[in-house]
Amino acid sequence: MDNPSAPLPSGQSPPDRISSESSGPSRRAFLGGSSAALASTTLASSAGVARARPQDGPRLTGLSKLTLTINGEKRSVEVEPRTTLLSLLRHRIDPPLTGAKEVCDRGNCGACSVMIDDQPAYACMTLAVDLAGREVRTVEGLGTLDDLHPVQAAFCEHDASMCGFCTPGFVVSTVACLEQEPEADPSRIRELLSGNLCRCGTYPHVFAAAETAQGMMAGGTLDAAGSREDKR
Amino acid sequence: MVDPTIRWKSRKKLNLLNTEYPRVDASAKVTGSARFSHDMRLPGMVYGRLVMIPASRATIESIDLSQALATPGVVLAELAEEDKDQVRYLGDDAVVAIVCGTSPETAQDGVRAVQIEWTPEDNMLISEEQISAPDAPKINRRGNLRQSGERGDAEKTVQALGSADVQVSATYSVPVQHHLCLETHGCVVDYNGGDEATVYASTQAVSGNPGSFARHLGLKSSQVRVVCQHMGGGFGSKFGIGLEGAMACRAARQLKRPVHLMLDRKAEFLMTGNRSGSRQVMRAGASKDGRIVALEVEAFKFGGTSGGSLPTPPYMYQVEEAYAKINTVHQALDGNRAMRAPGHPQASFAMESMVDELAYGIGMDPLEFRIKNLSDEAHHRQLRRVAKEIGWDVHPNRSGPGKKPLASGQRPAGAPLPPAGDHWKEGIGFGVSRWGGGGHGGARCEVRIDSDGSVTSSCAVQDLGTGSRTYVGTIVAEELGLGLNAVKARIGDSALPPGVASGGSVTTGSVAPAVQHAALLAREALEKKLEPVLGAEPGAYTFDKGRVFVTDDPKKSLSWQEACALLGRDPLVVTGKHQGKLADGGVHGSQAVRVAVNTRTGQIKVLDMVAVQSQGLTLNRLATKSQINGGMVGALSYALFEQRVLDADFGNLLSANMEDYKIAGAKDIPRMRALIDDDDMRPTVSGMAEGTGVPGAGAIANAVYNACGARVRHLPLTPDRVLEALKDA
Ligand code: FES
Ligand code: FES
Repeated sequence: MDNPSAPLPSGQSPPDRISSESSGPSRRAFLGGSSAALASTTLASSAGVARARPQDGPRLTGLSKLTLTINGEKRSVEVEPRTTLLSLLRHRIDPPLTGAKEVCDRGNCGACSVMIDDQPAYACMTLAVDLAGREVRTVEGLGTLDDLHPVQAAFCEHDASMCGFCTPGFVVSTVACLEQEPEADPSRIRELLSGNLCRCGTYPHVFAAAETAQGMMAGGTLDAAGSREDKR
Repeated sequence: MVDPTIRWKSRKKLNLLNTEYPRVDASAKVTGSARFSHDMRLPGMVYGRLVMIPASRATIESIDLSQALATPGVVLAELAEEDKDQVRYLGDDAVVAIVCGTSPETAQDGVRAVQIEWTPEDNMLISEEQISAPDAPKINRRGNLRQSGERGDAEKTVQALGSADVQVSATYSVPVQHHLCLETHGCVVDYNGGDEATVYASTQAVSGNPGSFARHLGLKSSQVRVVCQHMGGGFGSKFGIGLEGAMACRAARQLKRPVHLMLDRKAEFLMTGNRSGSRQVMRAGASKDGRIVALEVEAFKFGGTSGGSLPTPPYMYQVEEAYAKINTVHQALDGNRAMRAPGHPQASFAMESMVDELAYGIGMDPLEFRIKNLSDEAHHRQLRRVAKEIGWDVHPNRSGPGKKPLASGQRPAGAPLPPAGDHWKEGIGFGVSRWGGGGHGGARCEVRIDSDGSVTSSCAVQDLGTGSRTYVGTIVAEELGLGLNAVKARIGDSALPPGVASGGSVTTGSVAPAVQHAALLAREALEKKLEPVLGAEPGAYTFDKGRVFVTDDPKKSLSWQEACALLGRDPLVVTGKHQGKLADGGVHGSQAVRVAVNTRTGQIKVLDMVAVQSQGLTLNRLATKSQINGGMVGALSYALFEQRVLDADFGNLLSANMEDYKIAGAKDIPRMRALIDDDDMRPTVSGMAEGTGVPGAGAIANAVYNACGARVRHLPLTPDRVLEALKDA
């Protein structure tokens, strides 16, 4: 062995990416002051509402009442300024709509995808107070167990879900994609679905389902449009 | 005594099994009506959040919960441990308190109001310098670095290396990988006081966990029911109940109301385990005629506070003389857990890369070199098949990296094309896997037939997305000659007959035989009822297309409904047990990858991936393909993107969210073909999914080299690393 006694081959740190400023002035010393680095973790920031300029009217606090349409039904709800649409759907209406999932809660994964006035949106990145008078469609509003939307039927047919946690988001994004661009070619479909992540690796079957659904929505049937390879 | 009547139907006679069919819960999943633990809403339920100190090592001076308790909506704020004065590693040990509120937002308000004074330690025990400093505190009793394994004869290996025609020295490394289950860890504890509780848990072990929850609720196992109808991924990280499960129980016990405690995304990154990282320092030698004559490995496993995992080299390939020394490196970080084929992707990346380097080193076709050094015939046939599919036979760079873009005719018909431009070079790489799978005893399945013809098949197994719920029903439907949705499958509830924990791809091999046994018993019991009516003795019937026939006299028959009506008031109930002869371990996989590499920017685009996988009898070809795809996607993501980033000074994880920890998305996915190896004609079942995630990363790295001569020995294969490696090309 070249250097069998060296515990970690010199010049290499553990295989993760590690940032360190061990030489030179460190941020830690800077932040902690010179005497002691007694950190105080208090995250008790009072509500982080941006300061409103006078012409914007009074600043929002407490609960606001508003009416919006969810899956075709008018709903009056009470929300805080910080309440996201995702939280509204999952926690503030009864019965809750839990199809949209909270995964990253910051616009990275698409598990919370919904449509607002027919535009795809991340429910976790949308404040509920902004939705007065708007129309929200969730996965629950697309089809039912006995009457699936073509996209849902195609997802079943192609096994485009494994654990299924990303699936409602993918279904909504696929519907939005095909409603907005019925002619989208396969690479455009991938583009339009690139705001959704799946950890189980359903992507190939999601794409196949989207293409089948495209055929169905254009007037075909599942069988006619189905392009599943190698059906034994 | 082996009972000859216990068997799977022969393949020719199968109507459902071994065909492609949708999973039975697909429509629940696509409509959003599938309820995960996250989605549970119960009367009076509160939401729990854990409070963590953001450092790997700290002294805790004081924790003040009074402001948290005074926060509107907060119903509980409590220390995790009374006298905890230290954080010893960044993981569940950094949890200091729990806050429960009437909504997720108020719980979060409460977390923000907790005041903690703490002093970071000087040495955060994360970087190489830190853990090996002379005065570094010990993370593990036995030290921060220790030898944990050794195999082979060091001296003979050095001699063999000396006699090799070609010798290669190289160091390979892979970072820690997160499971990144989309549904975070946690559970909803339905407890209102009294002596019964139901826990809705995102778990890979429904049958195994009532006892752990019960302990923390102050109840007995028999008083706790664990339910998991759907779960958003596990990948090996969700066997135990974790600190989050224990804290949820504690809170529910105190509050006497249901507690919903699912970790937030940051806590998920910090404390739910991971795939350990590794570095493998290798020297290997080959003879001119293509034998691997020697391999010397010093490996380091990076498993945080746990031991890390790595099969002892040599991995997969036959080596004449090998010596391996394995070391465990501890960092003050969350310990590794099982993750889809624990240790294997790490071992595979290094070994497949080294095998490639040796092949090109002696000027031999890397496909032929592999076949020569693999002992299992299954790999030989599979490698030839994937090579054909990927276009190796018409590929120009079979003895070394290419210089020019490919011409038409140098790819198979229909192969995906690289982006336009001479600076995109194409290459092909290979890798193989072998996995244990099979099954073990313990699983039971109950089949119940009612006189109205309805059939239920029940087992407390969980479905991680593999399709287990589906085959719990379809195996019975197959044996009884019924249709796809005719049998109601009930799973995911510890009140049902026991399943097994889902790890090591043993679920199928453990549960499916019990289901088949129950189906056979049900059939036999029903045949006994038919005897007085149709005249033939048990064993002389055929069940097909919703009818029962006397095999030798098909005119004598009843519809399924008529047959079941003979049962009268008492349902027919049988319980099947695991049957060893219906399952067999030992599955093989081979994969090939075509990539394009941009030699100006270092960008890698995977164009095409092909996997062929064996498993004996396939229960559902469509779900199996999904699983194979899943393995390939996971490996691609590991190969190209996933990278944990740590701050050694502050002892913190910088990549604790999904914008900083990148995984493969829609546009990264190449054409993927998942092929089932039907040459494996064993009349047995086995899981196989773990093996499918093993070879991909090595195959991609090998394809990058084959494309342009850039040998990147560290994952992820980022553009800067490709450009750096190109300098040596
Ligand atoms: S939860 Fe909204 S994008 Fe991830
Ligand atoms: S199906 Fe599990 S995350 Fe997509």
